[in-house]
Amino acid sequence: MAEVEIKLLNKVYSGNTRAVTDVNAHIRDGEFIVLVGPSGCGKSTILRMIAGLESISTGELFIDGRKVNGVEPGKRDIAMVFQNYALYPHMSVRRNMEYGLKNEGLPRDQIATRIAEAARTLQLEDYLDRKPRNLSGGQRQRVAMGRAIVRDPKVFLFDEPLSNLDAKLRTQLRSELKALHRRLAATFVYVTHDQVEAMSLADRIIIMNAGRVEQIGTPLDVYERPATRFVADFIGNPSMNLMTGIVAEDRARVVLTSGPTIALSTEVEAAPGTSVDLGIRPEHLRVSDTGGADLTLSVHMVEHLGADTIVHGHIGQDAGALSLRVDGVQDFREHTQVPLAIAPGHLHLFDTQTGQRLNCA
Amino acid sequence: MQKRVIFRSAWLPYLLLLPQIAVTLIFFFWPAYQALESSFFIEDAFGFSRDWVGLQNYAELFRDEGYIRSFRTTLVFGLSVAALSLSVALVLAVAANRVLHAATAYRTLLIWPYAVAPALAGVIWYFLMNPSLGIVAYWLKLMGYDWNHYVNGDQALLMVIVAAAWKQVSYNFLFFLAGLQSIPKSMLEAAAIDRAGPMRRFWSITFPLLTPTTFFLLVVNLVYAFFETFSLIHATTEGGPYDSTSILVFRVYNTGFVGQDYGSSAAQSVILMIMVVLMTFFQFRFVERKVNY
Repeated sequence: MAEVEIKLLNKVYSGNTRAVTDVNAHIRDGEFIVLVGPSGCGKSTILRMIAGLESISTGELFIDGRKVNGVEPGKRDIAMVFQNYALYPHMSVRRNMEYGLKNEGLPRDQIATRIAEAARTLQLEDYLDRKPRNLSGGQRQRVAMGRAIVRDPKVFLFDEPLSNLDAKLRTQLRSELKALHRRLAATFVYVTHDQVEAMSLADRIIIMNAGRVEQIGTPLDVYERPATRFVADFIGNPSMNLMTGIVAEDRARVVLTSGPTIALSTEVEAAPGTSVDLGIRPEHLRVSDTGGADLTLSVHMVEHLGADTIVHGHIGQDAGALSLRVDGVQDFREHTQVPLAIAPGHLHLFDTQTGQRLNCA
Repeated sequence: MQKRVIFRSAWLPYLLLLPQIAVTLIFFFWPAYQALESSFFIEDAFGFSRDWVGLQNYAELFRDEGYIRSFRTTLVFGLSVAALSLSVALVLAVAANRVLHAATAYRTLLIWPYAVAPALAGVIWYFLMNPSLGIVAYWLKLMGYDWNHYVNGDQALLMVIVAAAWKQVSYNFLFFLAGLQSIPKSMLEAAAIDRAGPMRRFWSITFPLLTPTTFFLLVVNLVYAFFETFSLIHATTEGGPYDSTSILVFRVYNTGFVGQDYGSSAAQSVILMIMVVLMTFFQFRFVERKVNY
C-alpha cells in the first residue's frame, strides 16, 4: 500500500515528440485512480513510466516516498496487468503466477499459500494446470490479475485490461475489479479510454488530452463541474451540447451565434464581448410546455433506447447541432420543432480562447 | 466462409498442374529411379556392360571402413555446422532485435553471406585460411598456432565447418529475428516487472518461445550440412586430406566421377535419399506439432 507522487513529469521522444507535458498528480494510499483520455493522450505513457518500462525525461516520481526515477521495474514493488494479458504461453496458470514469486526467492510453501489464496479469490482453482491457450478471454484476464495479486505489490497498474473483452464480460469484470480493490485496499492506477469504466471504477479520475492533465477529480466532480471544454465534451454520453456565443453587455446573458439569447442565473466572470462556449447536457434540457422556450430544436433523428429517448437535431432551422435526452419512451416526430427549456443551474461556460471554465451559475 | 473454386471441366486442373508434375517427374523421379536401378548393377568404367549384382554394392559399402568413417565425418560436420550457425545466428538476432537505429542496414549486412554461392564461400575461407598466403592463418601463426589444413585433417574439417556455418548464419538469423519480433513486447515487460533480469528473461521466456523456430532451423541446417555443402567442399579441400573432410555427398561424387564406380555411387545416393526421406518425415511429424505451445 503506498502513495504515488508525480511531479512535473515529462516524456519527450527523440525527434521532439512530446508524449507527456508537465503532469502533476498525487495518488493517495489505497486510492483507485483512473487515467482516461482519447488514444494518444499520454495516459499509457504515464502508466508505463510509473512501471519503469518507459524512462522519465524530466520530473520526479515517488512510490511510497521513495524516488524511483532510475529504478528497475522489478524493484519498484509494483504489478501490472496488460491489455493483451501478456501471459507466458508456455507456462501453466500456476507457473504463470509463480514466476514472479520464484524470482523474488520466496520459500515454496509461501508461494503455494499465496497461489491457493489468489486462485480462490479469482475462482481459478480448476484451471491452475491449464495453459493460457486453453482459457477464455475472461479467464485469461483473471490469471493476469492473479499474477499481480500474488505479488502483493504496493501499487497495481492496469493498462486497459478490459478492452479485449466483450461488453457483457466487461461489465462483470468491472464489478469484480471494484470488489477486489475494496478487499485489497491497495493503490490502483488504471488506464482506459472508456469513460463508463472511468466513471464507475474510479475514486478520482485524471482526464488527459494531448499529453496534459485537463482535470483531476471525483467522477461526479468532472461530470458536474468540468474544468475545461475538453472535459465537458469528453465525459458524458451523449456528449454535452456546446454552442458558441458572446457574453452580453450585462454579463448575465449569452448571445448564441445561432440566434437565441440564454439568460444566466448569475453574472459570468468575463468581460462583455468575450467569445464563449456555452454547454448544457442533453439531460438538462426539457420540453417546455408553458411556452417560455429558451431554445427551439428541429428534430432530425430519434433514438429509442428503452430506458431513455435521445433526440438529435439543430437549433432553430439549421444552426448548431443539439441533442436532448428524456426519460422513458417518448414520441418525437422527425422534422418537427420542439421548444426546450434549460434546467436552471446546469449551464457551463468555457472561454473559447483558452477552453477554461468560466465561473457562473 | 472460404470460397472454393470448382472447375467445370475435368482436364483443366490436370493441365494446370502438368508443368509442375513434369518438372518433378523429369528432374526428381527419373534420376531417383536411375540411381535406384544402377545401385543393383556393377558397371565397367566406360559404360559398355553391366552385371546384375543385387545388394552387393550396399553390402560392400557397409564393409568399407572409409564409408563408415564418412558417416561419422558427416555426423560431426552436420551437427557442428548446425550448432555453430544456430548459436551465432541467435546471438546476432538478439543483438539486432535490440538495435533501433540503422536496424535495416544492420540486417541487410547480416543477410549478405546468404547471397554468396557455396563454392565462392568456400573459396573465400580457403584464401583466408591458406597456410602460405591467408591472413587468418598468418594471424594464427603470430599467435603461435601452426595452421595447415593441407596436412592436418582436423584443421581441414574445422575450416569447412566454419565456412559452411558462416554461410548458413544469415538464413538462421532471419528466422530467429522474425521469431524474436513475434514475441509480444509486453510479455518481456511483464517478466521484467516480475523481477526477472535480462538473462533470466531470455532463458525462461524468449528461448522457450523460440523452440519451434529453433527446431525447424535445426532440421533445415542438418539437411543443408548433409546434402548442400558439396560444392563448398569440392572447391576447398576436395575431401582431403586423407578423406578427413569427405562427407557422404562428396563421397558419392568421388566414387562415381573420380573412381568411376557407378554402382557403388548409386547405392550411396540411395542411402542419402533414404536419409532425406526420414528427415522430412521427422520434420513434418514433430515440427508441426511443436509449433503451437
